[in-house]
Amino acid sequence: MNATIRARNLSRRFGQTRALDGVDLDIPAGRIVGLIGPNGAGKTTALKAILGLGRYDGELEVLGLDPSKSRDRLMKDVCFIADVAVLPRWARVKHIIQLTEELHPRFSRDQCMFYLKKTKIKMDSKVKSLSKGMVVQLHLALVMAIDAKLLVLDEPTLGLDIIFRKRFYSNLLNEYFDEERTIVITTHQVEEVEHILTDLIFIRDGKLILNNTMDDIHERYTECMVKPDQIEQARALEPIHERVLFGRHILLFDRADAARLRELGEIHKPSVADLFVALMGEEDDAGDEERAA
Amino acid sequence: MNTNWSKTLWALMRRELWESPVAFKWTPIGIGIFLIFLSIISLIIYTQFDESLSSLYDGLRLLSERSAENRGLAVKAGLFSVATLFFQLMLLIILFYLSGSLYDDRKDRSILFWKSLPISDSMTVASKILTACLLVPAMFMIAIIMTHLALLLFATVLSLLAGLNPITTFWLPAGLPRLWTIMSLGLIVQALWLLPIYAWITFCSSWAPRLPILIAFGIPAGIALVQHSWSLATSFTLPGTNIGWIMLQRIGSGALPSNINFEFSNTSDVELNEDLFMSFGNLLDVLIDPAMWIGLAIAAVFLAGSIWFRRRATDN
Repeated sequence: MNATIRARNLSRRFGQTRALDGVDLDIPAGRIVGLIGPNGAGKTTALKAILGLGRYDGELEVLGLDPSKSRDRLMKDVCFIADVAVLPRWARVKHIIQLTEELHPRFSRDQCMFYLKKTKIKMDSKVKSLSKGMVVQLHLALVMAIDAKLLVLDEPTLGLDIIFRKRFYSNLLNEYFDEERTIVITTHQVEEVEHILTDLIFIRDGKLILNNTMDDIHERYTECMVKPDQIEQARALEPIHERVLFGRHILLFDRADAARLRELGEIHKPSVADLFVALMGEEDDAGDEERAA
Repeated sequence: MNTNWSKTLWALMRRELWESPVAFKWTPIGIGIFLIFLSIISLIIYTQFDESLSSLYDGLRLLSERSAENRGLAVKAGLFSVATLFFQLMLLIILFYLSGSLYDDRKDRSILFWKSLPISDSMTVASKILTACLLVPAMFMIAIIMTHLALLLFATVLSLLAGLNPITTFWLPAGLPRLWTIMSLGLIVQALWLLPIYAWITFCSSWAPRLPILIAFGIPAGIALVQHSWSLATSFTLPGTNIGWIMLQRIGSGALPSNINFEFSNTSDVELNEDLFMSFGNLLDVLIDPAMWIGLAIAAVFLAGSIWFRRRATDN
């Protein structure tokens, strides 16, 4: 009942394009939700609506508040990091920390300093003199020092190196996340987040294509690397996607009989990336062509 | 609740100080240093013509022999003219500051950070306007006071060299506490007087897709041009009222010393008195002028508009 985010028929138009097209969404507390979609699918529009940064039609409630009307109150409990560094470039690190401390009732300076101690960021540096990775580190330290109920991350690791990205997510999981909090992440690097997600949402053309818990998804979808001689039998079971890897056919099934599939080949759980390609992929995909042939 | 409110506003206003240290801190300090430097240079040049400085001392003696009222007038005139340079540069700085106040963070996307703080958009706009009306004048006033003190010390040395009493020649006639109180109040009254202009520029800053300062000046200038062409073309006369002229007049009038009591110059004998600079009396006159209140009403409309646009603003 007390969902962190609750949306009904959430819509937004930009001229002729529907950036959001009647989205229904319920995100309870204590989840880590991946919002995945191609560019221009409506991810950022949805996040902006949730954060009270954009207009929308339909119903939307975040932590019981209407974000379009009460952004300032909502921000006491919501934190967000946008796709690229947006900390004011003229500011010094100590100024930003002091400002956040004075303006945010749930900010803990000690916590922030604890995270910053592990970095090379100096208090007197100006944001514009920091590297891109350091700005993200600083922003993350600020955000993780705020005792918020909802954290929204829009492409938080864009343009950062792999070591940093790994550390970013392990920090998030180990030091920040708990049952009270909800994290919503959009990213293109699906393989990096899939092991930390509890829920997965695919969005395309403003519509939700998939909205499930990871447990459900693991139960529902099965990939089968089919033995060459049994390919026709496997195709008869109506796979939703087919691809070829090293000459082996890999078919993806939705709610298939696992026992039956085991007879046809080797089965395993599909990765989020494979699922993404299967559900959202373009029609010119190699697997589709083959199946059509 | 109330203390929270003022604490938040103060934090936001200090943020403005951190963002523009050159405009708000170093410019007034720079003007002060420039004026002191100028006085020293003038004295050095003076010694080239009159090595013993005897004519300067004579002048000082002449001043010290005048009536107390005349001495006060002369010293205050000097101190006010020093302040005028500060006032004029301050106005320029405020106009530029306001034109970027709700625009710069939209341009560099840091608005996303500011909007992630639990601060309402009205509070944000209020902090910008209060910075322009109170914080910047306060910074400049401090610099004016420092400059006044430095110049009076300079005059003290000269009067001691001339064998005069610096206290009765300069310090007492200057009436510093009263002078500084009037100037400080004058700056606040002037800010209220100019609030419609400030609010208009802030309003432009809240929605302008680019170059807010050009838009803020371009729109009234454009309207003025159309008004001019229209009345010239239709009736061969200049328009009776003209928006551009009204705005320029507003900027050039109000409570500042150089603008007050121009009417005197129409009469043949200009009455020299303190009212020529700035006094409690003429500050009150400006305050009760209907034009002041009409301006405040206009300002309220533009500020409401700024908040409306700010609420909808994101990075673009």
